[in-house]
Amino acid sequence: MKKIVLISLVFCLLSAFVVYAGGKQEEPAKPAAEEAPAMEAEEVVRELRVTFSWPTYIDPAVGSDFSSSSSFVNLYDTLVYPTPDGGVKPNVAESWETSADGLTWTFNLRKDVKFHDGSMLTAHDVKFTMDRLTTIGEGYAYMYGAVESTDVVDDYTVQFNLSKTYGPFLTTLVRLYILNEELVMANAKSDGMYGDKGDYGKEWLLTHDAGSGPYKVKDMRLEEYLLMEKFQDYWGYFAPKAPDLVKFIGTTEAVTVRTMMSRRELEIADQWQSLEAQKSLQQIDGVDIATMSYGTMFYFMMHTRKAPTDDIHFRKALAYALDYDTVVEKIFPGAIIAEGPVSPGYPGHWKDYPKSERNLDKAMAELKKSKYYGKLDQYPVEIHWIAEVPDEEKVALLALSNFSEIGVKAEVVKVPWLSVVEEMGNQDQSPNIVTVFVAPHYPEAGSMLESRFHSTSAPTWQQNEWLLDPKLDAMIEDAIETIDMKERYAKYAEIQKALAEIEPSLNLFEQAQKHPYFASYVDWPATTGDKIPVMGYDFAANVIQVHTERK
Amino acid sequence: MKFVQFILKRLLHSILVLFGLSVLIFVIARVIPGDPARMALGPRTPEEVVEKFREDLHLNDPIHIQYYHWIKGALQGDFGYSILTKRSVSTDIKEFFPATLELMLLTGIIMSVGGILLGIASARHANKWVDNTVRVLSYFGVCTPAYVFAILFLLIFGYLLNILPTIGRLSPWLDHPPVVTGLITVDSLLAGNFEAFWDGFKHLIMPSVALALGPMAQEARITRSSMADNLQRDFIALERSQAIPERRIMSRFLLRISIIPTVSVLGLDFASQLGWAFLVELIFNWPGLSRYGIQVMLNKDLNGITAVIMVIGLMFLVVNIIVDIIVSGLDPRIRLGAERSQ
Repeated sequence: MKKIVLISLVFCLLSAFVVYAGGKQEEPAKPAAEEAPAMEAEEVVRELRVTFSWPTYIDPAVGSDFSSSSSFVNLYDTLVYPTPDGGVKPNVAESWETSADGLTWTFNLRKDVKFHDGSMLTAHDVKFTMDRLTTIGEGYAYMYGAVESTDVVDDYTVQFNLSKTYGPFLTTLVRLYILNEELVMANAKSDGMYGDKGDYGKEWLLTHDAGSGPYKVKDMRLEEYLLMEKFQDYWGYFAPKAPDLVKFIGTTEAVTVRTMMSRRELEIADQWQSLEAQKSLQQIDGVDIATMSYGTMFYFMMHTRKAPTDDIHFRKALAYALDYDTVVEKIFPGAIIAEGPVSPGYPGHWKDYPKSERNLDKAMAELKKSKYYGKLDQYPVEIHWIAEVPDEEKVALLALSNFSEIGVKAEVVKVPWLSVVEEMGNQDQSPNIVTVFVAPHYPEAGSMLESRFHSTSAPTWQQNEWLLDPKLDAMIEDAIETIDMKERYAKYAEIQKALAEIEPSLNLFEQAQKHPYFASYVDWPATTGDKIPVMGYDFAANVIQVHTERK
Repeated sequence: MKFVQFILKRLLHSILVLFGLSVLIFVIARVIPGDPARMALGPRTPEEVVEKFREDLHLNDPIHIQYYHWIKGALQGDFGYSILTKRSVSTDIKEFFPATLELMLLTGIIMSVGGILLGIASARHANKWVDNTVRVLSYFGVCTPAYVFAILFLLIFGYLLNILPTIGRLSPWLDHPPVVTGLITVDSLLAGNFEAFWDGFKHLIMPSVALALGPMAQEARITRSSMADNLQRDFIALERSQAIPERRIMSRFLLRISIIPTVSVLGLDFASQLGWAFLVELIFNWPGLSRYGIQVMLNKDLNGITAVIMVIGLMFLVVNIIVDIIVSGLDPRIRLGAERSQ
């Protein structure tokens, strides 16, 4: 009896200890004075917290994934800024001219842009940024292969000299995030891969910024989070209730995200939450789902040099057999059925591209024209799906069922991403079909056409078709070199017509990225029609408003 | 003297084991499919840039040359460049290992103290309700993965009761203490920052308990089983016949010899956490070595993979040496056995 009383007493004491000492997890009403930015006495610190898939590289010459791109738009400025209609508007560059031959681009800069360390942004910094990006060669550097040199005409005029005309050049400048040359080089390690530039500041820029953007790095912990604070001397715009602190948290665990949102510790969740998790989050009072698209397309990439998908009629039969409606209604709800390999909303999309549709009669008609008709048992189709994206299995199994309706035998194989990348690098090892998401890198059809169908992408994960078509390559190169936008878009349309003829891939849908967020106290322009079709820009925190008083 | 010889002998064995492990993992890591250079730089990076990257990392060299470069660096504390974090692997280890170590230490305390106490209680009240309760709970503990406990705790204490923090090592409104050991609780105490210490400790509670429950259940069962066996021994009967209090028999005589299997398993469980903890670290967004280890494997970061495995191997070796020392201290016959064999 004594022992039971003793044990019970100890248990009660421990519980009381945990409950009392733990207490309700609440942030203090007022942060420490030295931490909070200068604010009026009655105002609270507005925080915007977003979960992302990690890792994030905040060095603009290294990162190019979603979380990295989202951090760039907050920490740095670009010469031009993307607009919702896919164009660009002046930003750090007030104006620009192109030479008649399209090989020289001259930009006139604003004179009032301050870096986070207080120094002024000049043409030298722009030159340094381009030189650094192209020397390091990572991240978005591939977009500037045509840039031969960069010249400083004067402190506020910079000139890019191209080796060949490059139509989308202006559009690609939304990815040239301008760095503070002096600050970067002051923190560069002398021992590095880049000769007299040492490591070019790469190690320092892993956890620091050298930008002029609306926010600056307050704390960056590589495996945990990126914390940014408002830059009070920013030359540009802040919405009245823009957040003072922006935190990108490196987790996508459903339970963790759910718990954080329930405790109002998270304003916007990542796009990797499953359908079930999203529904669960929507049940939290105040949470809604924001849907946005950045032109990311989902394909069944068909190997055009491997039986039986080397036969054009066979490919067209598969294209007519697949049930696209079920895919976008049940498996990836909210996705938009594809009208070709390019997002329908993207500049340069061919509006008359036949929409992907299921028609078994047409499928059989095409199959009968195929050289493999009557021998289908001997030529099974292997469909490889990416193990890290479980929903792709559902699509692959649906395809297996649909294809069997026209007598085509298919095998569904789950493959880890690393193995997919490896097998797609070899023509003999590539399977008949691989299911892959591909995102464009700048808001024009040319980005997708080049990265998907040009011969240079054949041995990469962006192309399983192995087209290796010199005529198509020439069409793509010619289009991209065309300076005049209308003319360029017309050429993009011709390329898409040519692709429609040969049907190298099944174009299933444009991905709809869904972000659960607190609509009750977060005003997010991206949810009200002002979406910017360039990855990351919808997370520019200076235009997002956080009504903390409504929490 | 004997003790010094023992330590030196074990150190020599450890070096040989580590060398063998390094060769094994070096080769195995390169069998994983994928081109690490291409994966690190992305599909659109020009081939010449990728090729230069491969050359800088010696990826084009024969494997024995690659190993030579690696071992040369490793002996100087340089484990190479991480293609995942884009910085030195040594820096990664220095940053992430203390986070996992802090977790492991509290987990170790919970599982050892909890496991042994439960085992004693269970043995002392064998076949009574205390014993039956501990045994049933032990089954649950052993069968349930740590991440299930982690999710349950997060939901109960983080969401329903809202009494413990959910993610990370420290609340966002607190500054990290100056780094001395890398353990937030210790560094906070050293800096005299008790608020940070307490906050850091609260962040440790859920992940540590989640990790500790399974091994704790196992150790309770082993302790109980060992004590129950030894209770039948002649010397216990002798002690009882001499009217030595039962409590003294249990704590002074019986526990000492019964705990040896528990200590051995405890050591293995402790070291294993370095590998097991990744799901718990993922759920609590804990920036630890275990989580880093999984990420480097998924990204075929060869240097990162090798370094993490080496750290885990080293941890096992060190813990085994400590366990052997403790066991030899607990049981003089083991010490004597070593002396007789000489």
